[in-house]
Amino acid sequence: MNRVTREVTAAALASLLLAVMGCRREPGTTAGAPIPTGPRQGGQVIVGVPADVSTLNEYQWASEASEFAIIDMLFPSLMAEQPDYQLHPPSFAPRFATSWEFSQDSRTLTFTLRKDAVWSDGVPVTAEDVRFTFQVQKDPRIGSPGFEIKDFISSVEVVDPFTVRFHFTRVYPYQLMDANDGHIVPAHAWGKVPFEQWRDTDFERIMVTSGPFRLASHTRQQTLVLQRDPAYWGSPRPYLDRLVFRVIPEISGQLAQLAAGQIHLVLMVPPREAPRVRANPDLELIEVPSRAWAFIAWNNKHPLFADRRVRRALSLGINRKSVVDTAYHGFAKLANGPVLSSMWAYNRALPVLPYDPEQARALLAEAGWRDTDGDGVLERDGRSFVFELLYAATNSIRQEISLLVQSDLAKIGVKVRPTAAEYMSQIDRQENGDYEAAISAWEEATKVDLATAWMTRTATQGTNNIVGYSNPEVDRLIAASRDENDYTHCKILLDRIQELIVEDQPVTFLYEATQLIGINRRVRGADINASSIYFNIEDWYWSP
Amino acid sequence: MFLWTLRRAAAGVVIVWLVATITFTLVSLAPGDITQTTAEQRVPAAARERWRHDFGLDRPWPARYAAWLGASLRGDLGTSWAYHRPVTSLLGEVLPNTALLASLGLILELVGGIAVALTQIRRPHGHADRALTAATLTAYAAPTFLVGLLLLYFFAFRLPIFPPSHMHSPAGELYRGWPRFVDLLHHLALPVVAIGVTGIGAVARYLRGSLLDERMERYVTAARARGCSEARVVWAHALPNAALPLITMIGMSLPFLVSGSLVVEVVFAWPGMGQAMYEAALARDVPLLMGGTVVATVAVVVGNLVADLAYAFVDPRVRL
Repeated sequence: MNRVTREVTAAALASLLLAVMGCRREPGTTAGAPIPTGPRQGGQVIVGVPADVSTLNEYQWASEASEFAIIDMLFPSLMAEQPDYQLHPPSFAPRFATSWEFSQDSRTLTFTLRKDAVWSDGVPVTAEDVRFTFQVQKDPRIGSPGFEIKDFISSVEVVDPFTVRFHFTRVYPYQLMDANDGHIVPAHAWGKVPFEQWRDTDFERIMVTSGPFRLASHTRQQTLVLQRDPAYWGSPRPYLDRLVFRVIPEISGQLAQLAAGQIHLVLMVPPREAPRVRANPDLELIEVPSRAWAFIAWNNKHPLFADRRVRRALSLGINRKSVVDTAYHGFAKLANGPVLSSMWAYNRALPVLPYDPEQARALLAEAGWRDTDGDGVLERDGRSFVFELLYAATNSIRQEISLLVQSDLAKIGVKVRPTAAEYMSQIDRQENGDYEAAISAWEEATKVDLATAWMTRTATQGTNNIVGYSNPEVDRLIAASRDENDYTHCKILLDRIQELIVEDQPVTFLYEATQLIGINRRVRGADINASSIYFNIEDWYWSP
Repeated sequence: MFLWTLRRAAAGVVIVWLVATITFTLVSLAPGDITQTTAEQRVPAAARERWRHDFGLDRPWPARYAAWLGASLRGDLGTSWAYHRPVTSLLGEVLPNTALLASLGLILELVGGIAVALTQIRRPHGHADRALTAATLTAYAAPTFLVGLLLLYFFAFRLPIFPPSHMHSPAGELYRGWPRFVDLLHHLALPVVAIGVTGIGAVARYLRGSLLDERMERYVTAARARGCSEARVVWAHALPNAALPLITMIGMSLPFLVSGSLVVEVVFAWPGMGQAMYEAALARDVPLLMGGTVVATVAVVVGNLVADLAYAFVDPRVRL
């Protein structure tokens, strides 16, 4: 394994070299921005992706965002979530449902459905498909990863073929979002597979879809081709004939092919490659705030980090701004708290922790840490302040960060041992609390969720609380916020929770990364946003 | 010879079993499991526990091993956890891709290597020989990924005459018949050369040395004395003897036809065994990883056996 990893790393390094060479070519005949023309029918856009999709049935543990993006173009949902989460919880636009209405007591939600929607085999999409999908989402034999989302929906009732009613067990702010979660799957085609067999079924053999595109071909580890579905019932209909996904494992290979015009879209341009993409007249670099944010997890249960003064001192002792700017070449934003700054729920009044080594030293002294033997490292009760900082071995940015943190903290008498770990073994150690500190990240949904990561961990709550954080006041407020129906009231609670978490510094908040997207200028009309790359895929067109 | 083959086959079965057992143990003891691949997306713990239970990951590994071994003995390699498809069908897809690439690479390395060595011994220590010695040494020492990248740089981007990756062009996915085959050949060119170049170096170095040795042998002098042409001396007398060790080389390359070259597969986005196994290891897809391991091990054992048998067949001095 080690040899293989080394070979791959070597290959990665050398192919970076290739990217450098590949991009230095003279601007060819296609150089320069093409003359703007209006949208036109036809053409194809080729997307470079690092890995193949493992499944197009999201209830089979589709895990990658790239898979969901493709699934979203193949299967209908009741409503389309709008990217307006900056101002308030996301609103919804009609998709398969034309309208919806809550009952007086808000416990039932009735959707009126389109009558002209059909599956790719011609069978109409009806309320029965919605009911079947709910059954799939809840059935323990299938074990859909999102089954908890449907916890408060007791049943889905088919009123008539084009009217469907959701019954809730309680009233809460995310009822619409939870009803909408997950794509609708074809009851007439997939209902034939017994639920016990879902995990072992290749659904591409019985692929029946209903979206702007349909699956034209899929060659494993190579190419997935989506073709415009002439039977698509929604509007507008896509201009593009085809959307092609090419699996190119190496990012440098993706960049070289992007520069050569062989592919048209690269979704994860590494920050250090950004200037080269930007300098190429054929390409455009789009910056999108990503939904991931990184932090240093301090194991709050470990004697070194149990004292919140110590955790605060460590945060003050790290020049976070310079760390982030160095590692990300300016393409990331300092993170300040547990809610993404692009969300409506973000507390804009949160204090920004400065870089203040003086105050850090004072806090550590207050907590009893002193350099008694003059070796430059603090001690307390005969124990030196030395710890291991884990990071994923394959992530060069996090490796760089670990070294910067090491040098910053050395200045306040804390000795860091950066330790590369294979990704899965790091995750495993974090989940078992078997670590001291780790560079880690969370990817946030558009639903504000503070409960799983910040509530005291028990069998049922705080299950993602890998740092062992526990503050009874935070627990109480999070529970209260989940029952608050009015989002302006909810915001007051959420603001207070963020303040408390930042005071406790269970983690050192590092950065919210910017997703860098390289796109060929001939692809027009793309309005790429943080929640979805292909949000307005119908409006994309190819300008020859 | 029959008994010998039988004994070797029995030993082969034991080797496959040992490798499978060790691999299973290592994979089971490695931290993390497939349900954790989505850790940063905060999948609910309850959903994960349910999946763990379905995969049997909540049972101790000896129990899982026993279940896996039992099923494998019945010929059932299970279903891939990541791809929800039978392991045999997944391997059936990637194996031919790897075998195609590697066998063409092997042919290129043999044909090229023999041609270079024959050119060299026409005038040992002459200019051509010296130049080719330098070239073959360089090729032999060059890491495959570097060769691959240079090929890409020169023949896919600088002078774009070959496609840089994949088995088919995006449009080629929709071709059928002859155009599809031509498209495939076009895509095979660079990865085959990348694999072949280092091999040519090795074969040529090896063969040149043994050919020079053979030329000193008395049977060669005798052939010359009988008035054989120099071409006949080399082709009919020296080469067959000098090429004997190549059989061992080929035998040892056979597993490579099955296991694939991870580096070449990654650099050229070639969908073969190397990539599939690497991904399966990272994702902790135990059934796929184990299936691939068993198939590759069987190939090693069979490859060695075939090489030994072939050796005995062509060299009467070897008695089995």
